[in-house]
Amino acid sequence: MKRHLLLTLSLFALSAGMVTAPCASAQATDWQQIPIPSLPAFHPQEPKRIELTNGMVIFLQEDHELPLINGTARIHGGSREEPASKVGMMDIYGEVWRTGGTKAQTGDQLDDYLEIRAAKVETGANTDSTTVSLSCLQGDFDDVFKIFADLLREPEFRADKIDLAQKEMDDAISRRNDEAAGIAGREAVKLAYGKGNPYVRQPEYATVAAVTRQDLLDWHHAHVSPNNIILGISGDFDSAKMEATLRRAFGEWLKGPEVKPPDIKFDPAKPGYYQIPRTDVNQSSIRMVELGIRRDNPDYYATQVFNEAFGGGFSSRLFRNIRTAKGLAYDVGGGIGSSFDHTGILRLSVGTKSSTTVESIQAIYEQIDDLKTHPISNDEIKLAKDSILNSFVFNFDEPEKVLRERMAYEFYGYPADFLERYRAGVEKVQAADVARVAAKYLHKDQLAVLVVGNTAEFDKPLSSLGPVTNVDISIPPPPGAKEEKGGTSAAKQVASNAEGKALAAKVVQAMGGLQKLQSVKSLRATLTESEPRGGNTQVEITIAFPDRMHVTVQTPNGPLTIVASPDGAFMSAAGMGVRDMAPAQKDESIAQIHRDLIFIGQHLNDPAYSFLAGGTEKIGDVETRIIDVNGLAPIRWFVDPQTGRVLRESYEAMGQSGLFHGVTDLSDWQTTDGITLAALHKNSQDGKDSSTVHFDSVQFNPPIDPKLFEKPADAAPAQ
Amino acid sequence: MKYRSLKILAVVFAFASLVTAQDIASFEKRITVKKLDNGLTIVICERPEAPVFSFYTLVDAGSVQDPMGKTGLAHMFEHMAFKGTDKIGTKDHPAEKVALEKVEQAYAAYLEERDKSVGRDEQKLKDLQKAWQDAVKSADQYVKANEFVEIVERNGGQDVNASTEDDQTNYFYSLPENRLELWAYLESERFLHPVMRQFYDERNVVIEERRMRVDSNPFGRLFDQFTSQAFDAHPYHRPTIGWISDLNSFSATDAAKFFHEYYIPSNMVVTVVGDVKAAQAMPLIEKYFGRIPSQPKPDERTTTEPPQNSERRIVLREITQPFYLEGYHRPDYRSPDDAIYDAITDLLSSGRTSRLYRSLVRDKKIASDAEGYSGLPGTKYPHLFAFYAVPMPGHTPEEMAAAIHAEIERLKKEDISDDELKMIKTRSKANLIRGLGSNSGLAFQLGIYQARYGDWRELFRDVDRIDKVSKADIRRVASQTFVDTNRTVGIIETAPPASADAGKGGAQ
Repeated sequence: MKRHLLLTLSLFALSAGMVTAPCASAQATDWQQIPIPSLPAFHPQEPKRIELTNGMVIFLQEDHELPLINGTARIHGGSREEPASKVGMMDIYGEVWRTGGTKAQTGDQLDDYLEIRAAKVETGANTDSTTVSLSCLQGDFDDVFKIFADLLREPEFRADKIDLAQKEMDDAISRRNDEAAGIAGREAVKLAYGKGNPYVRQPEYATVAAVTRQDLLDWHHAHVSPNNIILGISGDFDSAKMEATLRRAFGEWLKGPEVKPPDIKFDPAKPGYYQIPRTDVNQSSIRMVELGIRRDNPDYYATQVFNEAFGGGFSSRLFRNIRTAKGLAYDVGGGIGSSFDHTGILRLSVGTKSSTTVESIQAIYEQIDDLKTHPISNDEIKLAKDSILNSFVFNFDEPEKVLRERMAYEFYGYPADFLERYRAGVEKVQAADVARVAAKYLHKDQLAVLVVGNTAEFDKPLSSLGPVTNVDISIPPPPGAKEEKGGTSAAKQVASNAEGKALAAKVVQAMGGLQKLQSVKSLRATLTESEPRGGNTQVEITIAFPDRMHVTVQTPNGPLTIVASPDGAFMSAAGMGVRDMAPAQKDESIAQIHRDLIFIGQHLNDPAYSFLAGGTEKIGDVETRIIDVNGLAPIRWFVDPQTGRVLRESYEAMGQSGLFHGVTDLSDWQTTDGITLAALHKNSQDGKDSSTVHFDSVQFNPPIDPKLFEKPADAAPAQ
Repeated sequence: MKYRSLKILAVVFAFASLVTAQDIASFEKRITVKKLDNGLTIVICERPEAPVFSFYTLVDAGSVQDPMGKTGLAHMFEHMAFKGTDKIGTKDHPAEKVALEKVEQAYAAYLEERDKSVGRDEQKLKDLQKAWQDAVKSADQYVKANEFVEIVERNGGQDVNASTEDDQTNYFYSLPENRLELWAYLESERFLHPVMRQFYDERNVVIEERRMRVDSNPFGRLFDQFTSQAFDAHPYHRPTIGWISDLNSFSATDAAKFFHEYYIPSNMVVTVVGDVKAAQAMPLIEKYFGRIPSQPKPDERTTTEPPQNSERRIVLREITQPFYLEGYHRPDYRSPDDAIYDAITDLLSSGRTSRLYRSLVRDKKIASDAEGYSGLPGTKYPHLFAFYAVPMPGHTPEEMAAAIHAEIERLKKEDISDDELKMIKTRSKANLIRGLGSNSGLAFQLGIYQARYGDWRELFRDVDRIDKVSKADIRRVASQTFVDTNRTVGIIETAPPASADAGKGGAQ
């Protein structure tokens, strides 16, 4: 449960009517009779602030209770600034900074050195900053501080630890869809901020693989300089001596470039319904999101009171009505979120059994509507304010908490007395303020509602509430990786549902029926490909299912031949000889075969294939049903439920500059030898039109020269 | 309001220690213990750092005490302990009491019909169900929902929660120090006059908790099956959260009965740490908690788990990534070898110098994480020393097993190094000190040691026990414990997606 990240200098006022003299004799039988003495004055010790001439800001907080010293250096700049092509770079940096050791010692040597002293020096990376921290017994400080300082000044980022960190990242990527609640949390944030936003990007195999040691060194040199560092140390030390030590260690360090926070815009997903089907759960994880506020917004105080009353604690409306009264959920709550230097997320969440999914969404809607007819009452506001103000002391009941708060305000440029302002601000909040911020920030019709759950067991389909978009969470395979058979690939986490299977059967029927499709062992087509900027190309393509392809492209310089088979892939043309293609290109060519409608249709009843119907999407006038096909190559179909025709395909594919999101619109259906296919394919890559393909002729089971797919002997090695 | 059973990533009994007698002496001055006439133990530790205090009520009864056919009851009662008393949470308790009795009668009638194996009358069942639900509605009109927690929150309650384990049930939160008497009243009333109001709605909440933690989570499913498999006879084989059919059957009457049997003063240790003076606080706390009537100890004998004589194995085929877990039976926490197991845990699992990290993660690069630790699923009774490893992509559970077994063989055959032994001993001292810096952490440790050993000083005496651990001890205990026939294996294998109608979990 809760609460706020704040601190202060002075104490809170007691609620009127609760201050009475201590009375230890009579035994109270009613809680209202129990005396509450006034709380003794408490002035938490403020840390000492020191600013070096090179710009480093230091806070020292003495605390002699235990023989320990803890410290943290927080440095401006974090993952929100890493390049999109290298998402995950900062995670790797945050780990290898420590495991990769210093110039003087390897990371393994540091481990031995520190652990025998039961000490820790650790590094890490967040969205807006990186950190180096230390923790040790007081007597070991000098030994441990030396390593702390060495890591700041001279990290080595040794290659073996970069490799290990990348492998660990790959492991985390492969496991990121294993738990439904984790998926819900992650994907909800993407809906709130917009897919691809720097706060929500996620590492992929390709972006992790793209990170080099030089990237880590470059980042370090660009960011880790004294004027970007706030250093806080607390524990059993003498401040004067500690200050001298720190000045000696860091005083001569030269300033570096200043790091400015980036200006990041948000592009929230359209309000509406989003779903991620899972077959291995019996509870739906529901998240409702829209943009929240920044913490320096004057509405912050009123939103905190609103949050406490609406979705914060055991006595909040959501807890009382959804959990206690209806028994719909164990986990329910939420509020208007805030962040220090960017807009936070308004988030409501509930976990409920599959068969009360829609009911629970509606129950939350009722609570939102109810805010208009029954605004948060004076009693509720008093309760919320009492909760916040009476627990206020817990913001600074440990010297280290005071230090952490001061460091945060310094980091984000907030006033040092922000916590005291917060207390005063909350005290002033009135019912009208709470009603105003509720109306201003929480909008039932603006929410993106995400459900991760077992769609087949829902009380009603989510589409009964409105149009539903299926969110694709399949994990793009590593560059050049083979699609694994039998569902061991991380991307294959879905199973067919009855509707998906039925629609897939309809698709197959519309193409000519399963028997007809299964009779196709190969095909040859001639086609014309036009690019957006003009120019037509004639292409002949021969496919021998399941995995061989021969393509001849007529170019101005004569024919270019491309061949892909499990034995390899190559291209040849007059004047260039024969060249092997990279494994990734070979795999992509074979994946193209595996994404073919005929090929998938042949596997309608293959247990290794799944067809999962989810949301709907309007294409032209047709409300198509979305089917996720998971087989040798995953693809999403948008099917006209009336005709069984696939009007659109979307898929992840490997292009010349890496992975792209491909979309193909299919039209102009024509029948050849009893098999109906789209003659017109309009392709786009990452939202940009890329080409239009018209099939001029198709021939099934043509005579094929067995040497067609063989490589001539003089092939050059792979590029 | 949670239960702990997924201890894989959080070792509960990890506070091995190594602190001198001087440290005990400094705590002697600040700690006061009193066993009240009714058998309840109060521990007060003065820590005047800030005007706040934390408390921890340990009830020495957990899911091990769940009656047969009523698994999950200890945890269910823990939820009910937030529902208030005869004075808190009600508009008119005398009328409510009558209404709640009617609920129980109606529920008993419904249950009797529902569970008939022969001759169940479906229409009658429907009528009885409606009568029960009507009775619930009638009782609900007297409820002031969540008033008990509301009082705590209004007064500044921090981290208000509770948890149920196999071994015990824990209640805890923190308040400003001027609320000490209010707290003493609330906490004692909760265990003097609990009222089982809104029981059946709360039961649905608990069933949602089961769905969240067990049914809808691959690790939850694995642990559920794994502990069932590892224990034949001892109640550790049952899930703390309860089996679904039990959750759908037990009644408020059952919960009240459990309360009366096990929530007795001699089963309770109440620890308060913070800005309090024992001289004033002890009489005040005694005044309130002394009201709880003493009762004879219930019969708490449990079946002793017989020796295991062959390996057991469960394999879950999931659509998620693979996972490897194995466990070996070991004696309970009072065993003279307990400190040796703690030393082995530290050696194998603590930090980047730990043997499992260095072997499986750093050198072989076949796992992203690997540890070995005691305490699955509890420690009060003979339990498991467990190992787990998370395979990196492309590596299998079988490789995890082989690599873990290689490390186990090393423990049996080679002495650990001087540096390793030194590291274990230094680290246990530092860990103890690090645990003393917060009111809530200290309350937990003092409370558990007071309950488990009858003396909080044992927290500090763990020092000596760890300090006496020798290289030969580690070889001996490893050789005794980590043998094939004493092993239970739990594996998650990645399977192709099942068909849609093959639902998992089965909870409805």
